[in-house]
Amino acid sequence: MTHLGAQRSKASADELELLTRLRAGDEQAFEALVARHYGTMMAVAQTYVKTRAVAEEVVQEAWLGLLQSLDRFEGRSSLKTWILAILVNKAKTRGVREARSVPFASLAQEQDEPAVEPDRFRGPQDGFPGHWRAYPGKWGTAPDVALEDRETLGVALRAIAALPPTQQTVIRMRDVEGYSSDEVCAALEVSAANQRVLLHRARSRVRAALEAHLDG
Amino acid sequence: MIAYKFLRRDGSSVFTGFRWPLPEGAPGAWVDAPVDPCRSGIHACRPAGLPYWLGRSLYEAELAGDIVEERTKLVASRARLLRPVSAWNDSLRDEYTRMCADRAHALAASPPLGQWDAVIEPSVPEGPALLGFVAARIAEERHGAEGYRDERARQTAWLVERLGLQDDTAS
Amino acid sequence: MAEHVTCQEVVELVTDYLEHALPADEAALFEQHINFCDGCEWYLEQMRTTVAAVGRIEEEDVPPETREKLLAAFRDWKRA
Repeated sequence: MTHLGAQRSKASADELELLTRLRAGDEQAFEALVARHYGTMMAVAQTYVKTRAVAEEVVQEAWLGLLQSLDRFEGRSSLKTWILAILVNKAKTRGVREARSVPFASLAQEQDEPAVEPDRFRGPQDGFPGHWRAYPGKWGTAPDVALEDRETLGVALRAIAALPPTQQTVIRMRDVEGYSSDEVCAALEVSAANQRVLLHRARSRVRAALEAHLDG
Repeated sequence: MIAYKFLRRDGSSVFTGFRWPLPEGAPGAWVDAPVDPCRSGIHACRPAGLPYWLGRSLYEAELAGDIVEERTKLVASRARLLRPVSAWNDSLRDEYTRMCADRAHALAASPPLGQWDAVIEPSVPEGPALLGFVAARIAEERHGAEGYRDERARQTAWLVERLGLQDDTAS
Repeated sequence: MAEHVTCQEVVELVTDYLEHALPADEAALFEQHINFCDGCEWYLEQMRTTVAAVGRIEEEDVPPETREKLLAAFRDWKRA
């Protein structure tokens, strides 16, 4: 079983309720759980295997595996940590057979990806080089900054889905699912520094997508 | 030890939004925060640090417990606000801003750093912290890092005098 | 040791700052800059808002075929 590091927390009350319903054969609980984790599980799987189709199979195998070992889950780790562990095991097994296509270690050779287009900043010959040419918008926490807005969440989700698999996996695990940095590093076998680079690039792209949507 | 702390107008911390117990006729309550580099601890500054941390409201603070000194600030595990430095009001802020803008123009004057000169007046509405930086930055353009630091020291001297603070640079 | 950072540098440091991964002196330069620069203060706010928005994503559409297969597997498991 993949060891996911020290920051496991116990299964929350919400998760335990879902688990109880699952054991009782509640289909809606199962579907809810699947929908909740589908995106992240697919992203994680795709960092181990080449094609989306194979990733789908891995995810299905993981859910099967989970159902088969449902009796053994005692709630000492969180449910989502446990789901992740099963998934990573299945993905690794499959990945070994397929030869993992996007190793995290190749990060150093990747192109630099600026968080913001360089032409939005004043040039080296300008007064105030490196300063914003025009300031970004003030979103704040005003009611019209739509955190609740379905449309805005849709923009964020589409932006995430368009990310390269490695970036997508990290932002999903950290920001969508709320796994800790340690958990992500352990599950993906990546250094804290590399994880941060990926998180940075992912968040920067999503911010840019939201900016285009909110500020036009 | 005595130090200084800027807060937002509503008495909350600039970076964390923490609501400070404000001094009203008497020192505010002590606040404790274990010092953990970049994670926690109470930030304050010596007079030399004032230009870097300019905010809306200024308070004199008493620091205690573990105190770590960094380049421009102090990080303490325990502090309380002793009194507001009410001399730091909107009028003085504007005066300081104008002082820095005039300094910036003078520094950019000869030989002319035109591309910098054009930046100064448009920056004024953004306030004293920005103008202080602009002046120091132009000084740096002229005289390197030492120029930057000298300009900041000038700014400190101006603030210490106008705010009636005890300058501890000699200590 | 640098005396200041630019806005262009700040937007690259923002994630490390939020992760508490900046060394003390870089974090100080970052905060000094945020203190005087409205543009970067708003940018930091945008990043926080982005993270919060992403955190509100709850469920996503599962492809019908996958749904069917998993539901079938669940029913099999129930029967066993």
